[in-house]
Amino acid sequence: MLTSYEQIAFILLIIVCGAIAFQRFNELIAIVRKGQPAAHNTEFIIRLIKALVDVGAQKTIAKSRPVSSTFHALIFFGFSFYVIVNVNDILEAYVHGWTTVASTNPIAQTFNILSDLFSMAVLSGVVFFLIRRFVFKPKAFEFNPNVKLEPGVAAGGIKRDSLIVGVFILVHVGSRWLGTVFHLAEKQHFDPFMPTASVVAPLFYNSAGLEVGIHVAWWLAMGLIVMFLPYFPKSKHIHLMIAPLNLAFKRDNAFGELEKPANKSKPGAKELNDLPLNRVLNAYACIMCNRCQEVCPAHESGAPLSPGALEINKRYYINRNAKALAGENGTADALLDYAISEDGVWACTTCFACANICPVGNEPIMDLIDMRRNQVFDAQMPAELADALRGLDEQGNSLGESARKRSGWTKPLDFKVKDATKDEVKYLWFVGDYASYNQNCLDNTRKFAEILNEAGIDFGIMGKKEKSAGNDVRRAGEEGLFEVLAESNIEAMNECNFEEVITTDPHTFNTIKNEYPALGGEFKVNHYSTFLLDMINSGKINLKKKLDIRATYHDPCYLGRYNGIYKAPRELMEKCGVDVVEMPRNKSNSFCCGAGGGRIWIPDHEDVKKRPSENRMEEASTLGVEYFAVACPKDMTMFSDAIKTVGLEGKMQTVDIVDLVWQAMGLDSKNGQEASSEKSAEAEKSTNNQADLNKINVSLN
Amino acid sequence: MKILVLLRQVPDLVEDLEVDDSGKALDVSEIKFKLNEYDEHALEEAILLKERGEADEVVALTQEGEGSEKVLYTALAKGATLAKSIAISGEASDSAQFAKLMAEAAKAEGGDMIMVGVQSVDDRDGQLAPIVAASLDMPCISAVTGVKVSGNTASIFKEYSGGIMAEFEADLPAVIGIQAAEQPPRYAPVSKIKQIQDSAEIGSLSASSSNGASSIEVLALAPPPKGEGAKMLDSGKDLLDVLKDLGVA
Repeated sequence: MLTSYEQIAFILLIIVCGAIAFQRFNELIAIVRKGQPAAHNTEFIIRLIKALVDVGAQKTIAKSRPVSSTFHALIFFGFSFYVIVNVNDILEAYVHGWTTVASTNPIAQTFNILSDLFSMAVLSGVVFFLIRRFVFKPKAFEFNPNVKLEPGVAAGGIKRDSLIVGVFILVHVGSRWLGTVFHLAEKQHFDPFMPTASVVAPLFYNSAGLEVGIHVAWWLAMGLIVMFLPYFPKSKHIHLMIAPLNLAFKRDNAFGELEKPANKSKPGAKELNDLPLNRVLNAYACIMCNRCQEVCPAHESGAPLSPGALEINKRYYINRNAKALAGENGTADALLDYAISEDGVWACTTCFACANICPVGNEPIMDLIDMRRNQVFDAQMPAELADALRGLDEQGNSLGESARKRSGWTKPLDFKVKDATKDEVKYLWFVGDYASYNQNCLDNTRKFAEILNEAGIDFGIMGKKEKSAGNDVRRAGEEGLFEVLAESNIEAMNECNFEEVITTDPHTFNTIKNEYPALGGEFKVNHYSTFLLDMINSGKINLKKKLDIRATYHDPCYLGRYNGIYKAPRELMEKCGVDVVEMPRNKSNSFCCGAGGGRIWIPDHEDVKKRPSENRMEEASTLGVEYFAVACPKDMTMFSDAIKTVGLEGKMQTVDIVDLVWQAMGLDSKNGQEASSEKSAEAEKSTNNQADLNKINVSLN
Repeated sequence: MKILVLLRQVPDLVEDLEVDDSGKALDVSEIKFKLNEYDEHALEEAILLKERGEADEVVALTQEGEGSEKVLYTALAKGATLAKSIAISGEASDSAQFAKLMAEAAKAEGGDMIMVGVQSVDDRDGQLAPIVAASLDMPCISAVTGVKVSGNTASIFKEYSGGIMAEFEADLPAVIGIQAAEQPPRYAPVSKIKQIQDSAEIGSLSASSSNGASSIEVLALAPPPKGEGAKMLDSGKDLLDVLKDLGVA
């Protein structure tokens, strides 16, 4: 028990520190509430309970870094239990005779063993994290030198905060544990329910000043907590409160559906207050683990973008300007002044890896899209993006091609593709920009047509009535143009007579599936990976041969992470006789090709050392496979280029999964006979190990 | 300081152009029109002058017709202060007549500077600026890449081949043919254009074609004759054979 002076001192400490902490919490609440309304806040209590269950199960953190996550779990469970420990210790300080040490009460014994073991769990966890951050210094904690940092972050704020929080936990839990050691030593008692403390206690048997030691240990444990309170709202430690709230605010619509801008006359985010309040909160849920940065293709390539730095910058900015931000007038600073550079905003490929991996449910990608919306509205964007958007506005495609030539790819086919705007069809094939115009994709587009034709599937296209579906236009921040494109497509589609939509383009698939319904376009849309698999399983498509090749498969972001389609393309490949060899980064952890979100129209940042597609190709090159299978027209162009730039020509070949089906159906030999003699001669010239590759490449015209 | 910018819609060359049955004109039924690229630069330069405080008003003018509203709303979204469409009675059958009609409309509107694109795909001669200037008895400088205005005079920058830059001074009013603005023409976001459509009004002007028949007659219009194409040679010997056949080796 504390002396009465100590008891009064502790109460005074609580009053002073509590008051400061209370004021800081109030400021924080005021700042967060100035944000725009959160989109997903219905049934908040249910959401919060679900979030707490997830946190309790450590579900969201277990997605990556298994070792760190395990040590985190030790701290988490230990700290959770320490709430009870702290209550007990206060009772011990104020209630005469209250102690659990050496008690024979089963409840006290349970408490003792748990607090003894959890103390060790927390201590080992914190020691692990301190050693990791300060001794091993993982590369994941370093930002690219070109990443914009808020002055407080640039001055080493993260290290300082991590050290303070780490040492606080170490001292708090360590002292509490040491206090129990001193108690046992004083009693010269070995308590089997306090095993670790009992092992150490004999060292202090008969030591002088044990009573003083017990008091010092109590103050270091409990006094420290109270003294930490004013710092807590500004520290990374606050994540333990904000993370569950943050997870409760997490949207429950499809990942692939963007929110409409809250304010149409001033779309997007220029300042902190323009963000929805839950994304202001994101900054305080962030524990600065940089898992997002680790999976970010832009950061990995050397671009000035770190999704982690964005959140951390927001937090340090708010911390430094809390009074002004909470006040009536706020501040005049734009997010671009402190959170991220303009180049950083445009570096994002919208691959969703950051949001997907974040243990606390942050979505830095959404901040970036909101900032793009604001930039586009003010006509501030890379000139190349402006050119692409102009083309999309004028011709409905981003390749600067004539809208009338959209179905030009069908000309070399020896059958006619139905015009779905005139004839009734079962399947409306939404071809998409790249599959319609890009030279790297046209062969595959025709092969898909041949497959459908061979299988007798009733399909048609909309030709010049089809425009870019708008997925990447929207993600580049041009909401108005997205709506124009989508509405034009929906109108055209509504005038056609069909049952289902098929597309080879995951970007198109995503927006039609997830975003067209909000604009009145309700269509059942299939990606060709699932569609072809269904057709094979139902016997409509007959595979005549096994290809007997080994290939790796690249999950497109908008098919995999956004829409969860991982199995179908792999199964499809296996049915074609392909031995699928996985890359280390696969499925939800797939690494973006770098083309999404409008990036395909924007040149690489000058600091880019290795493009995401090149990085990915090098990853694939370690597997000993000859084929790099893709399921997205953009991937076809990105990776065909990457093979050349990393010098893998002749060793690796990009192949669309449609091509595999086409070959397995025996359509290559059928068309081989019809191919011009010139092409055949070319194929004959190729070396043996190229024979297969060339078969794939035989042009149909 | 009030700047008038004359905007023209021209055939979008991304489409294949076709000659109509008369064999003397383009088949306009299938053509898609777009704003002349040089005119976009003229508008950009005018808006830059306004943003720099060197001009107070930028009035966008274009001939009334299909697509003219979009051109004008886009100009407003980019920063023009006023937009007017010019209703033309009769038909301008050549670029000189068209220029005179534009001059008539510009005179009616009144301004201190008239900016036009230096040329267009259907006016490679770049006649618009000089004829408008002649009609209104104003000085004219064409192929301009930068303008500064101070009071009643303008400093005008022009780039000659070989990297020579020239600076002119002109008393206003003047007509300026813009080759390139000081920065690439800005993008007009669609949502901003939509907003403008809901809030802004487009004014109107008229010009009458009282110039009589054109003194120029188009005799024939045809796509260039198709070449025979290139032949790919496999070796140096093949090349030698070809040269021998041609009698040059």
